[in-house]
Amino acid sequence: MKSLTIKKIYIFLLPIILFYGCSEDFLDVESRERIEAEDSDEVFEPDHFIISSYGMLTDWTYAFSYLGVTEIISDNADKGSTPTSTGTDKHFLDGLTHTATTPSIRAVWEHWYKSIGRASYAIEYTEEYGLSDENYKNRLIAEAKFLRALHYFWLVRAFGDVPLQHVDLLNRAPKEEVYDFIEQDLSDAIAALPNKSEYASGDLGRATKGAAQALLAKVYLYKEQWEDALNYANMVMTSGEYSLEPNYEDIWRKYSENGVESIFEVQARGEQIAHGVQQYSQTQAPRGTGGWGWGFNIPSEDLLNAFNAEGDTIRRDATIIFRGETLWDGREVSGSVENAMYNEKAYSSANLGDSDGDKNVRILRLAEVLLIHAEAANELGNASTALSSLNQVRSRVNLPEVTTTDQGQLRQLIWKERRLELAFEHDRWFDLIRTGQAGNVMRTLGKPFEDGKHELFPVPNDQINQTPEMTQNPGW
Amino acid sequence: MKVKLFWLLCCLAIFPAGVYAQNTITGKVTDADNQPLPGTNILVQGTNRYAVTDFDGNFSIEASPGEVLEVTYVGFKDRQVTVGDETTLNIVLQEDTSELDEVVVVGYGTQKKADLTGSISSIEAEDIVRQPALTATQAIQGKVPGINIINSDQPGATPTVIIRGLGTALSGRDPLYIVDGMPVDNIKTISPSDILKVDVLKDASSASIYGLRAANGVVIVTTKQGKKGKARFSFDSFYGAKSILNPVKMANPDQYINYFNEGAAAIGGYTLQQQQLYNTDWYNELAQVGSINNNTFAVSGGSDHIDYYFSYNHYEEEGVIEDHKYRRGTIKNNNVYKLFDDKLKLTQNLNISFTNENPKPLGAFNNAYRQSPLVPVRYENGRWGQAFVNQTTGIVTYQAGPGESVGRLYSHGNPMADVFFQNEKIHTTTLQGGFTAEFSITDYLKATSRFGATKYFFDKRVFNPTRERWIASDPTRTYEEFEESRSNATNEETGVIPTSWAYNSLYIEDKETFRWNWDGFLTFDKTFDKHHLNVVLGGSKEKTNVGKRLYGKAYEVPEKEQYWSIQHASGLFDNVSENVYYTPRTLMSYFARTQYNFDNKYYITATIRRDGSSVFRTGENFWENFPSFGLGWTVSNEDFLKDSKSINFLKIRGGWGRLGNQNVPLNVNQIHTSTGSAGQNYVLGPNQELMFGASVASPVKDLTWEIVEEWGVGLDFNLLDYRLSGSVDYYDKTTKNMILLVQPLLDSQFAEDFYDHGAEVSNKGMEFTLEWKDNISEDWSYTIGGNFSFNKNMVENVKPAYDGMLGGSLSNGRITKRLEEGQPLGAWWMWETEGVWQNQGEIDSNPSIEGAAPGHLRYKDQNEDGVIDDRDKKFFGSYIPKYNYGVHLGLNYKNIDFSVDGFGVGGNKVYNGLKNTRTDNENITADTYNTRWTGEGSTNVHPGADRDIEASDYYLENGAFFRINNITLGYTLPDFSRYVSKLRFYFTAQNPFMFTDYSGFTPEIIGGEGGNPYRTAGVELSAYPNTKTFIFGINLEL
Repeated sequence: MKSLTIKKIYIFLLPIILFYGCSEDFLDVESRERIEAEDSDEVFEPDHFIISSYGMLTDWTYAFSYLGVTEIISDNADKGSTPTSTGTDKHFLDGLTHTATTPSIRAVWEHWYKSIGRASYAIEYTEEYGLSDENYKNRLIAEAKFLRALHYFWLVRAFGDVPLQHVDLLNRAPKEEVYDFIEQDLSDAIAALPNKSEYASGDLGRATKGAAQALLAKVYLYKEQWEDALNYANMVMTSGEYSLEPNYEDIWRKYSENGVESIFEVQARGEQIAHGVQQYSQTQAPRGTGGWGWGFNIPSEDLLNAFNAEGDTIRRDATIIFRGETLWDGREVSGSVENAMYNEKAYSSANLGDSDGDKNVRILRLAEVLLIHAEAANELGNASTALSSLNQVRSRVNLPEVTTTDQGQLRQLIWKERRLELAFEHDRWFDLIRTGQAGNVMRTLGKPFEDGKHELFPVPNDQINQTPEMTQNPGW
Repeated sequence: MKVKLFWLLCCLAIFPAGVYAQNTITGKVTDADNQPLPGTNILVQGTNRYAVTDFDGNFSIEASPGEVLEVTYVGFKDRQVTVGDETTLNIVLQEDTSELDEVVVVGYGTQKKADLTGSISSIEAEDIVRQPALTATQAIQGKVPGINIINSDQPGATPTVIIRGLGTALSGRDPLYIVDGMPVDNIKTISPSDILKVDVLKDASSASIYGLRAANGVVIVTTKQGKKGKARFSFDSFYGAKSILNPVKMANPDQYINYFNEGAAAIGGYTLQQQQLYNTDWYNELAQVGSINNNTFAVSGGSDHIDYYFSYNHYEEEGVIEDHKYRRGTIKNNNVYKLFDDKLKLTQNLNISFTNENPKPLGAFNNAYRQSPLVPVRYENGRWGQAFVNQTTGIVTYQAGPGESVGRLYSHGNPMADVFFQNEKIHTTTLQGGFTAEFSITDYLKATSRFGATKYFFDKRVFNPTRERWIASDPTRTYEEFEESRSNATNEETGVIPTSWAYNSLYIEDKETFRWNWDGFLTFDKTFDKHHLNVVLGGSKEKTNVGKRLYGKAYEVPEKEQYWSIQHASGLFDNVSENVYYTPRTLMSYFARTQYNFDNKYYITATIRRDGSSVFRTGENFWENFPSFGLGWTVSNEDFLKDSKSINFLKIRGGWGRLGNQNVPLNVNQIHTSTGSAGQNYVLGPNQELMFGASVASPVKDLTWEIVEEWGVGLDFNLLDYRLSGSVDYYDKTTKNMILLVQPLLDSQFAEDFYDHGAEVSNKGMEFTLEWKDNISEDWSYTIGGNFSFNKNMVENVKPAYDGMLGGSLSNGRITKRLEEGQPLGAWWMWETEGVWQNQGEIDSNPSIEGAAPGHLRYKDQNEDGVIDDRDKKFFGSYIPKYNYGVHLGLNYKNIDFSVDGFGVGGNKVYNGLKNTRTDNENITADTYNTRWTGEGSTNVHPGADRDIEASDYYLENGAFFRINNITLGYTLPDFSRYVSKLRFYFTAQNPFMFTDYSGFTPEIIGGEGGNPYRTAGVELSAYPNTKTFIFGINLEL
């Protein structure tokens, strides 16, 4: 009797013990806290990542740090604002006392690398996504390559040797290799990008073939490959896509956004839903009673003198807001604003000091291409070609033609023309360095420029903390 | 069986076997606690006469004077009693305390301690209850080598337990807790008085039977069960008073005023007058004498078929902040049913725990530290004191004459008001239980099936009287002003009132979770000649994190507490509610273990566990094998030592194993989008339409469990007639793939921090235990013992560019820790001070930080580049002790017992964040005042009244301490009633003394997130002070 019962229990227990049916289904737990990818209605197409690569250009970095490292540091601009408002470190940049820990330098370094990262990700994603329209796919990749090249160009001219993100994050690549990579990206972009006129209307603002050519011309200008610079500038000029805006001051108007002269610009929208270069207009707008902004990055006395010496009133008045003046749109700038001059190219008529303004920041335009053309031609000894391009730029602003064919003189004149034409377009400091004028110019202004040091920005300290094997630029 | 024995006894009794006149001797066999021992064998030496005690321990046997009775009972020391003339004989058996016969729970089975090949430490009930505590882990502190327990004396706090060094930065750090075979989240719900023993599987060769969750060690708790015999009733009660052990003396009003004025002289600003209105000792106001009260009632017993244990425990503690209470009630019931001739054993465990907690803001300790002694707790008119100062007159008051200006000394509010207004209640209920069936198929094969489950309910309510707080924050504010501000803030068009202007808010949070596990395994255990083989083979399924959380917030409920529910909230505000259903986790496992020994000399153990986890189901691999092996050699069983009197036991053992940690952080949401003006989006086209984009902020990294591998060797010994015992262990443990929070390089693609496997952590250490036990005479016995363990923790093989994880934030923008190869986890990283700036000239001619001024600390330019920056920061060791040790002394004289326990750590550093982060005009300690820099040449060590708040080694202090954590004196009354088997009174001083150089309240600082090494572990900012407790208690057994 007893044994029977035990057997029964044995029979009852054994299945329980051996219950572990080895089914891995037990591990298939449904996610309840987070929506799983396959249940999500979010589908990411390649263009989403291209858009966000452009989106990087609207970051706050361009509204403040960028002003410091491109303009305030130069002879064109001063820090501005009130004497006690340093803008964190803008006073260091203005006084050429910046160091490897200056936050603005770190900000642009990091932001440019993150921009490169987004572009690279967009390229990878687009390549692997399986788009059936090959042309569309190539165009998207080419757009991202243009953006990647643009940021590498900004990096290499500011820092010299810099890491190539896809190669080595710990060590800097020689700048020649960086330039090679930029040229490769731009050549690819030129091959695949449509002309400005070939884009659908809704795509207005995307990188074009002309933009890639213009940027490559500029790259060659920095590399002093004059033939190439001349050729690529010429391609843009003869593409039939661009012409000079008849009135210089119109270039920065809302109505001439992406206009005839525009080759590449950052797109910004002031209407709701607003999305502009964050606070770009606000940081540079007049400050104080009757003002509407922070008043940073103001035209220097030296720049004003340069305009006046040239008798260049058109460009002076389009570039500078004077305290107490009445602007083109009828707005009166109070006589009690903090500073005597402000940057008019950053002025947004509709959005004033809004954090998201409608100001499209112009990055490449035909006038610069003409000046690249002129400079390259002059360096190649072709003065007449140089003069032709240079004088196109001058005649628009009613300045007399330059006639000298002396290469040295002409070089100086072209450089001066660049300064006046492109003031506050974030190029001046690098032009000074590129042309070797920086030392004399800055020291004349009482700034402690050290030859062999200040030509390059220091690699940010935080980067070197992270990657101690990375070398620092000389003198820093 | 019993019947047969009885017959045998009767038969034997019939035949007289000796020539002497035999008397019938009757008597009783009991244990030391006067509990009867049924079933004790009593044999008259050299004869066949013997007896077995009955249910009440009574026996009757024929014996002649001079004959010797051999009394034996399993688990007790054999005793020989020579028969005299007496006819009644009461025999007391001493429990066999030889550790070698002790049984150790090894996971899915037990093993004799002498047979172990791994490193397992056991703590017995008496050692646990000696240290009155909420949680058993608190009581273990200092008693076991290799286990570092960081305690907090905050009511209801859970101590952190680190076994053999910290092996992870961000993943779960807690050991796996197994209670009666069932995994649980923690053992805070179990009354220490219900615990029979705690076994800690310290090494990988032992713990690998728990595979994927055993990386931090395994703590196995066995609760009490009834013993066969009469019902035993016990009642234990104690009451204690607690106060701050190590108070810090703050500056008095005169010192504060001088310090303030010196600071003002340096940086400008108003000064304070010497004559002030108030003198407040904030800690005196804030801290009170807390209390602890614990009552346990238990009844247990058993018969042939059922053993039962039932207990009720009530624990209540009030902290050193008024009304900061923690109460817990637990009901425990363990029953064992033995059926079918003991072939089937059913064990039922049940533990119900209720807690009831009134937390108070711990920030009050931080805040009280910072309060000026010139600010009153309340003004004469009853309004709360606040740090207002009349800057014109230099009097600390809110009152001002015409044209006088009033400001604040600092921004902190009144900590007493914070405590007063904090109205929070937390209730929890935990139902934990299980059912185990063990069936003996044959005498060597047993099948076990076990189901365990835990249901947890959590209920929290916070009432925040927003309006009262607003009024309290400024003595001049009135209700009318509140109304005015409220109506000003109200949106005129919509009538919407911002919630910050609601009269009060109510926050409710309900959580419930459920977990269960089901194990089944077969145990084969047989001895063939000299071969002993034990094999366990089984599987397990487990599901955890089944549950939900409901959160609600409402505004303006009626003031009476009875109406505090969202239902009664005014309709003026939108209520907030959130509900989350947790994603459950499942775990599926197979395991096998073979233990073999030859002749009790040579041991080999091999274990393998295979675990699959749902957490990693989306990854490529979600199964992993966790093998281990162990070897042992009991040298003392060899012939050459067998008869040694001095070496009673000697065993050498070693092993290797692999463990996992599945409680790892996971990457989520790598793709970012935005619906507004954000850097993902861009505008295109003639109308500049907003285009929505997407960006990847961190790389997609499939994470998996962390893997720990460890090997170790050990030695156990008993010498000199078992009086000296001890063990030595060495281990080398490596976490192979530690997960780090990686800060992307500036020049990398990614913008956001992400988790990735990126480093190894090595823990190497030694452990020593030594204990001497002796009975000098019948009346005198003593024990003296100690343990010491040493651990070296180091981060190794960090992936390139994965160094640099920062931590130890002081909440003011300063950090104190950094992860780097070659440093311990949570390593301190900060500037090194080299004196104090004596004058401006020094600053001008040396590298300095921005804002340096005379009297500030001077930081060393380590790389001599002329700039003081992050590259000049230096590593200064870790908050984790390098060694810790415990000592124990026990004395018994007749009915008096006395014991002292001590615990200490060393080789660690702690950061005095309270001292460092002083800003504005906050108070300072008297010591800071007395040592301060007062001008050129005064000191080159301590900063002056004007100083910076940078993190530096000046604030990093030696964290070593030695604490007497228990002194107990007990007295057991001699037999005075046949109804009372034991009555003992005792007095315990808990933490009466601490020896430390640390200048703050406590060098034991768990820190944020339960001891995350990259949070505030080791940083004193708001730590609860250590407390000392004086306790009187009583143990009564019937």
